[in-house]
Amino acid sequence: MSTDQDKLITELVEKGLTGDMEPINSIEDRVLRSKAKAALAKAKRAAKSQETAEPKKKKSEEKSSDDLPSSVNLNEKIVYMINEKFPGSLANENTETHIQLKSDQWFEIATWLKSEPSLSFDSLQCQTGIDVGDNTLEARYNFHSMKHNHYTEIRIAVPRKEATIPSVEQIWRIADWFERETYDMLGIEFSGHRDLRRILLPDDWEGWPLRKDYLVQETYHGIVVPKMKEGWE
Amino acid sequence: MGLLENRFNDNVIVEKLDKLLSWGRSTSPWFFQFGTACCAIEMMAAAASRHDLMRIGMIPRSSPRQADVMIVAGTVTMKMALRVKKLYEQMADPKYVVAMGSCATSGGPYWQHGYHVLKGVDIVIPVDVYVPGCPPRPEALIEGLLKLQEQILDERPLTRKMA
Repeated sequence: MSTDQDKLITELVEKGLTGDMEPINSIEDRVLRSKAKAALAKAKRAAKSQETAEPKKKKSEEKSSDDLPSSVNLNEKIVYMINEKFPGSLANENTETHIQLKSDQWFEIATWLKSEPSLSFDSLQCQTGIDVGDNTLEARYNFHSMKHNHYTEIRIAVPRKEATIPSVEQIWRIADWFERETYDMLGIEFSGHRDLRRILLPDDWEGWPLRKDYLVQETYHGIVVPKMKEGWE
Repeated sequence: MGLLENRFNDNVIVEKLDKLLSWGRSTSPWFFQFGTACCAIEMMAAAASRHDLMRIGMIPRSSPRQADVMIVAGTVTMKMALRVKKLYEQMADPKYVVAMGSCATSGGPYWQHGYHVLKGVDIVIPVDVYVPGCPPRPEALIEGLLKLQEQILDERPLTRKMA
């Protein structure tokens, strides 16, 4: 029954697109008639957008990633685009799982990642930090685009002694608490963050607990911290 | 002796004022609900209709000023330890503390490597009853509270304490 109806509707839409509205209007069943009209409107809209989209597409292809074959994955494409737009900001060319960046141009790149129409990473899914050893701390960002439904991961490594990374808190508001947690646990300073305080530990806590060389302070406001209960072992 | 001996009928209760006071205290220890972690769920279950702490005269209070017993239900972090101490000091005498669950008694799963966890709430405030378990079932908490009531009943608030 429904397949018959679909066939009928497609026939009517084809006629309607050529300008012949008579068969649609002469349907007696009201539900079927409205369905056919809706399908016709949809078909008309699709035809219109195809016409307008085609010339635009050609333009954007001219701008960037022109010689890239269609088989490249998203990370390779982003690396290619960053290399053109922000030369020298890539830490290495590795694109297998993530993109490794230097910290100095990060704010500009982040702004561009969100605003570039072919990427439009409008959602910062997670921001976290890790102590990778060799006196290096690393901030990691996981992005998702609602529009294109694609993901990428950005990693920025900084030396432990001057661990400063530009904050993206004003680009993605969610980064506010994410960055505060990374600051709390690893002591990475996010320059430009408007409210960079500890988020979990008390404000007067000493040290950065998730660094590998962390030593627990002995007392906190007169309370002995690493107390072992006597007779437990 | 002769003045009071065999003077009263069956319908008059003869008792020491000392004992009367401790009896009164033990049968209505209102508790300060202090849920710092998952044990709070079991404490709520104990206070709710199935286990019903009201049977033994315990009513949850949200203010330290109105409470006699503080049930520390859950992990006490270093950040919280100062607040626990402050709230305990705000309670009016006589006051009692029940440490509920492994975390409040000893630090629980964090007792060795948790840099931010207080290894037992007895480091900052005196504890009367420890209820082990992770978390303890409501029955275990009730058992602990009955023990506390026994303890209060044995007190002699008016008698001079021997040094």
